[in-house]
Amino acid sequence: MVGWKGLAAVLAVALSVIACGSGQSASQPSQGPGAPVTLRLQDYSVEQTDFHKQVAAEYHRLNPNVTIEWTSIAQAQYNQTLPLAFSSKQAPDVFYWTTGGPNAMNQLLANGWIQPWTTDANAAADWEKRWPSGSFLNGITLKTGKVYGFPWQDTHYWGPGYMYMNKAVFQQAGLDVSKPPTTWSQLSDACKAIKARTRAYCIAAPMKDVDFQRLWFALAAGRMSEQFFDYKNGRFSLDDPRLIDTFNYIVGLNKNGYLAPGVNDKDFSRQQFAAGQAAIYMDGPWMVSVWAQLGFHSDSYGVAAHPMPDDTPRGALSQRYSQYAYWLSSQSTHQAEAFKFIQWVTNPTGFFVQNFLKNSFATLAFADNKKYLTDPAWKSVFKIADTKGFRVVYPEPLLKCPALADSKAFTTASTTRPNGEYEVMVQNLVNNRDMTADARALVNIRQTTFETQLQKEQAAGLKVSRDCYTFASWNYDQDYNPANYPKS
Amino acid sequence: MADPGQAVALAAGEPPGATGHRISFRVGRDDSRFWIPVFLLPFLALYLGFTLWPLIATVIYSFFDWDGAQPLNQFIGIDNYTRILTDPLFWSAFRNTLLFAVLNTIIKLPLTLLAAVLLTRRWLLFKRFFRTVFFLPIILPVALSGLVFTYLLNPSNGALNSFLLEHGLLKQPVDLLGHDNTALLAVILISVWQIFGQYMLYWMAALQQVPEELYEAADLDGANERQKMFHVTLPLIRPVAVIITLLALVNALHVFGIIVTLTAGGPGRATYVVSYFIYTEAFREAPFKYGYASAAALIFAVLAFLFVSGQGLLARRAEQLRRQYGV
Repeated sequence: MVGWKGLAAVLAVALSVIACGSGQSASQPSQGPGAPVTLRLQDYSVEQTDFHKQVAAEYHRLNPNVTIEWTSIAQAQYNQTLPLAFSSKQAPDVFYWTTGGPNAMNQLLANGWIQPWTTDANAAADWEKRWPSGSFLNGITLKTGKVYGFPWQDTHYWGPGYMYMNKAVFQQAGLDVSKPPTTWSQLSDACKAIKARTRAYCIAAPMKDVDFQRLWFALAAGRMSEQFFDYKNGRFSLDDPRLIDTFNYIVGLNKNGYLAPGVNDKDFSRQQFAAGQAAIYMDGPWMVSVWAQLGFHSDSYGVAAHPMPDDTPRGALSQRYSQYAYWLSSQSTHQAEAFKFIQWVTNPTGFFVQNFLKNSFATLAFADNKKYLTDPAWKSVFKIADTKGFRVVYPEPLLKCPALADSKAFTTASTTRPNGEYEVMVQNLVNNRDMTADARALVNIRQTTFETQLQKEQAAGLKVSRDCYTFASWNYDQDYNPANYPKS
Repeated sequence: MADPGQAVALAAGEPPGATGHRISFRVGRDDSRFWIPVFLLPFLALYLGFTLWPLIATVIYSFFDWDGAQPLNQFIGIDNYTRILTDPLFWSAFRNTLLFAVLNTIIKLPLTLLAAVLLTRRWLLFKRFFRTVFFLPIILPVALSGLVFTYLLNPSNGALNSFLLEHGLLKQPVDLLGHDNTALLAVILISVWQIFGQYMLYWMAALQQVPEELYEAADLDGANERQKMFHVTLPLIRPVAVIITLLALVNALHVFGIIVTLTAGGPGRATYVVSYFIYTEAFREAPFKYGYASAAALIFAVLAFLFVSGQGLLARRAEQLRRQYGV
């Protein structure tokens, strides 16, 4: 009887323990050279899952002792589970994280989530040669001489601001995609012709959630900047007259019936464009592969730069130090194997690069993108982005004030109502209203939060101020001159 | 009645009093002190791990500025609560949530009652077919329902607008989900469509509790269908109706999935509800605001608690009425 009671009690406790959670333990230390190792990678590039399987197979073929487990889950789920994985000591060896942009490394270091890719300074120096000089910066990818981050996506071609035109709809309207509208008034004229002569809508403009950014980035950059922060004056900027002007132009397009109706998501708008229900769609170069997946190939559409306002002043799209994607987890005990793997991945002519670019997943910072991306649409993209003033290098406050590495002021202010800008714009756009009052209210919240937090940090001894975010001599359509950063 | 101290042999057909080495449980007063906690332990662990601990953790987090990644060491007292109480978006979401819950309940309960009354009529043919049709939406995932209605109501090429335009019933397409004034109402109606079958079943269960002899007596008294409805059926199901109503209100207060899939709180902020507000604050963009979201969740939980408490009070009253009517 006692034995049964004991057995039942043990069983109950065991069930309780199982119920309360169990999981894969943290990675085991490497046993030595040649010992079997499993490297776990995680990201939210679900569309790359099949490609990751090929990568894992190829790497295992070349390195039979190393098994790559590369898992991709939806971004929302990933953002929730990764912090929990770190808390429970079950973090992957290598993980994807872009939040924080240029300050990502400092935030991840503060979290205790990352370790350097290698402790071998010579190996690191050799590896860094794969990128253009100036790609590795203290406070952004380097800390105390050790390399924690590396540029992943290229930021010259990759980004918003491209205008895709459906050839069939343009032809029906008597327009030619080889002569795209280059100004706002030309865009309005083209829309007028499309509305009059075809059954298609002029512009497929997604508005659900944050998808309005697809159209907004392109047009706002023409007038001032697609950023919601003015680096010339150090303030949040949705209420800036130039952005209000841009918004009013879009309201005008909507009032004239040039925007496809409905608060649609980006997938719906893309399908509208590919199906010939809309003539124009604005977005990034990733659309080349998205269109291909929809069975809509480059012989059916043209690509052009976003139209610019007819009069000055003008702006440009921003190129920032922000594409640092993969990090080595502090919980990984396979530093050497992970570094070897990431060296293989970033080989500019290797298996990974060739097949990654073949799938057009992104342009890479360490590869000759033009060599491998040969689709005519890509050639147009390269030509557009290489045009002077299309995208300009933005000033980086972190390089002006290294103490910002420990500041939370900007992130707190900009994430207080993360979608605030889009919520204000879409709500006013669908009602054809002026957004000035709502924009001012939002900017007021952000700016107050920002400056209050900066003052608190200043009082705590951190050398930060609004001046760190102010680059008065710079203009929105100019590359920022790195020589203007203070010498540390 | 079996003697609680009697040995219960496990083997089937075992004669009483048989002895030997066999497995047996002895159910007695002393043993139950041991077995009851043992059998309760797994449930208790689940309850502690998945109900009580998250609740306690939410209370704790609400007093911290915590992003879920860094150590929980930035105690800020009631700062999260004071900020929420002055956050216009929270109150906008709160107002929308109440509006959703009340309108959803006001629309769905009479309609589902009507459907239930019809489906319990003897003369109705194809009852099973109709029940299945009405119940079908509830087995569809919310995400799918959202997707279906997004396409159905789309003003560009949605089926509804196309039909109305082609038949000359509209001159311009209507964007129900794209305007402040209509978006929430559209979501409410879609939500009613989805949950219709569930509440119809509740009402059917309630209607089946009405004794048949009362209808027979009403027939003998010459009552017509309307009189039977208002003088027999409704008074007798009133106690259950109170519970169904409160259940409907409480469930509607937790609206989330249909908002995510249909409008994502939009256009702009027109359909923000409290659950969506909590979700966006907690998980939308890193660094996450678990502390702030926890405080919002607790304030909302207080509201839900008030409803549940009210439900308890009214349910007791309903029970009294039920006994009074002998149902």
